[in-house]
Amino acid sequence: MTRALLMLLALALAGCGARDDRTEIVVQRFFGECGAVYGQSIDVAKAETECGILTTIINRFEAENPDVKVRLNVVAWPGYPQLAAQIAAGDPPDLVTMHQSVISDYAGGGLLEPVDGLLAQAGIAPAQMTDAARRGVTKSGRTYGLPIDTIGRLFHINTRLMRQAGLMQGDRPILPGSPDELLRQARQFRAATGKPYLLQGQVAAPDVNVGNLYTYLLAQDAVIFPDARHVRLATPEATRIVNLYKQLAAERLSPLDQDFSAAHNAFIGGQGGILATGTWMIGAYDEVARDPASKLHDSYTVLPYPRLWGRAAAFVDGHAWVVPKHERGAAEQAAIARFLKHMARYDFDWTRTGHLPAFRAILDRPDFKALPHRTDIAAMAATGQQLPGYVPRQSAIQGLIGEELEAAVSGQKPVDQALKDAERRVNELLGEML
Amino acid sequence: MSRDRLSLPALIGVLIGAAIMVAPLIWTLLLSLKGNAELMRDSATAFSAPYTIDNYRAIVTGSLVPRWLLNSTIVALGQTAGVLILCSLAGYGFARFEFPYRRAIFAFVVIGLAIPEQAVILPRHQLFALLGLHNSYPGLILPGLVAPFGVLFMTQYFRAIPRDLDEAALLDGASRLTLFWKVLLPLTIPAQATLGVFTFLGAWNDYWWPLISATTSDRYTLTVGLASSQMNYAQTSGLGFLMAQAVFASVPILAVYVIFQKQIVRAMAGTAVR
Repeated sequence: MTRALLMLLALALAGCGARDDRTEIVVQRFFGECGAVYGQSIDVAKAETECGILTTIINRFEAENPDVKVRLNVVAWPGYPQLAAQIAAGDPPDLVTMHQSVISDYAGGGLLEPVDGLLAQAGIAPAQMTDAARRGVTKSGRTYGLPIDTIGRLFHINTRLMRQAGLMQGDRPILPGSPDELLRQARQFRAATGKPYLLQGQVAAPDVNVGNLYTYLLAQDAVIFPDARHVRLATPEATRIVNLYKQLAAERLSPLDQDFSAAHNAFIGGQGGILATGTWMIGAYDEVARDPASKLHDSYTVLPYPRLWGRAAAFVDGHAWVVPKHERGAAEQAAIARFLKHMARYDFDWTRTGHLPAFRAILDRPDFKALPHRTDIAAMAATGQQLPGYVPRQSAIQGLIGEELEAAVSGQKPVDQALKDAERRVNELLGEML
Repeated sequence: MSRDRLSLPALIGVLIGAAIMVAPLIWTLLLSLKGNAELMRDSATAFSAPYTIDNYRAIVTGSLVPRWLLNSTIVALGQTAGVLILCSLAGYGFARFEFPYRRAIFAFVVIGLAIPEQAVILPRHQLFALLGLHNSYPGLILPGLVAPFGVLFMTQYFRAIPRDLDEAALLDGASRLTLFWKVLLPLTIPAQATLGVFTFLGAWNDYWWPLISATTSDRYTLTVGLASSQMNYAQTSGLGFLMAQAVFASVPILAVYVIFQKQIVRAMAGTAVR
């Protein structure tokens, strides 16, 4: 017994002596945890879903870089409370997933490292990125992250109902080319099918109305934020956009009483013609459409928002890997550069989630074009625009504008008044910023 | 003990009320037993077979779930034990001893009830960072030990115990500690149980502080861990998994409720304090 204990002690001491000489980097991401399915997976091409693909890409990095140890933190979406806490505690991770619209807040506060040098070390030039992706990570002339995609809102379309309404030309849906035509088509759709034309899931979702407003303001070349302290919303351009959506709601062509889950269920249940939601749902709806038991069977396609005013435009966002400011040695810097290079290398696989690629070359790849619907939406990688990089607190601003737009679209407040109130509230917020 | 029988209309009313209360729970349970892809097509399929335990299997085989369960158990039990010890001692002190500024100190403690956690979270986070307590069990347990309600509750309970008992014990030669430990504390068991159950439930369900204090996956509590497991738009493409998580996280709470049902009902009815 004593001998056994001594042997155990010796083994334990021997274990204590074993040192891990690998360079450790702490990688923090959202997109969920799927270790049960993808914990050991390194075949990126076979992985599915955001979580599965990203987990597999990271696993593969570890497999190909045995001298680097990745300590992975999966955070609850979107992870910014935790990141802020980690930064405040002086212990931020080395790499973090961040929405491009949030980068301004952290970069403006000096909390992120510019990654121009790291990208150069990884052999990645900003010129290789799509316009939308490059704009998303560039703030004040510096690059603050490796973009991995562009995400934006699209028209997901039930082609069976559109055909019933006479709004198909061959296999292509006929989308409107002006606000009047949109209303005309929506009424025609309603008369033919008895169902609403446009589902949006607006309840508790300020981003819906704000996304619509930004998209069509950009289409009209309106300057939304002339500088970092002011927004311009009480304008004829904004008024005509909000009036259009108010009219759609007033005629019940676009229901106001649905949250996203309700709108989603209505769409896959064949209870509406078009669902305006993001790139991230393409894969899911495509799968539903392949199911013969589904009411969306063989009846699904997706297109960018129709061009109602001015030029083709889309308000977009995207995901990026950023590097919080922290003292790091050369080995950590090199490991981070290798990680960024690895992520860029697998950007095509990431686009299988439905997001648009961050690199131009992928747009021309046959395997990208072979993915369902991608050629229809690829233009958004060029037309997509974020808010200017100098605009802080974009999420908070979205909440303020969203409240006012909801009041305007539902008829609780005159459109002009709502836009004036939104402008005043946002300007007050921006005025309080340091 | 005799019980009044409900009249038929009242019974029907109660049954309807119970059905309304239970319906979301049954809906949640049924959804958790269906495949995500099937629910993505039509959530009404929850009412018909086939059912599967795949969502629960995915939770249990998730690499860190057992660790998160352990963390939640340690934190909830640690906070419960700490609160019971500290609040009992404080309640005994405030109820039985005269000391300078007793009323002022008691009022100061009770004022804590009016201070929301959000108001102190930043300085607390900074303090814990300075002390290096984040991502540790003490870091997760210590904030929960500040329990002004518990002090107030136990003080009131001790005050309700006749002082004659103290005098009799002291006359028999008991020390103050013996009086507390052997005479008074056993009489507070109902209050201890009530306070313990509520503290445990609060600690188990806490999300905000663990979210920002435990920032490494292996230190997450179950609430934070399960939230981190969710993919974006889980309510559509992962509805079954989401509901299974809800059921999974609530099972320990349900167990506590079943075991301590009597104490909880008494507390809710306000009868724990005599």
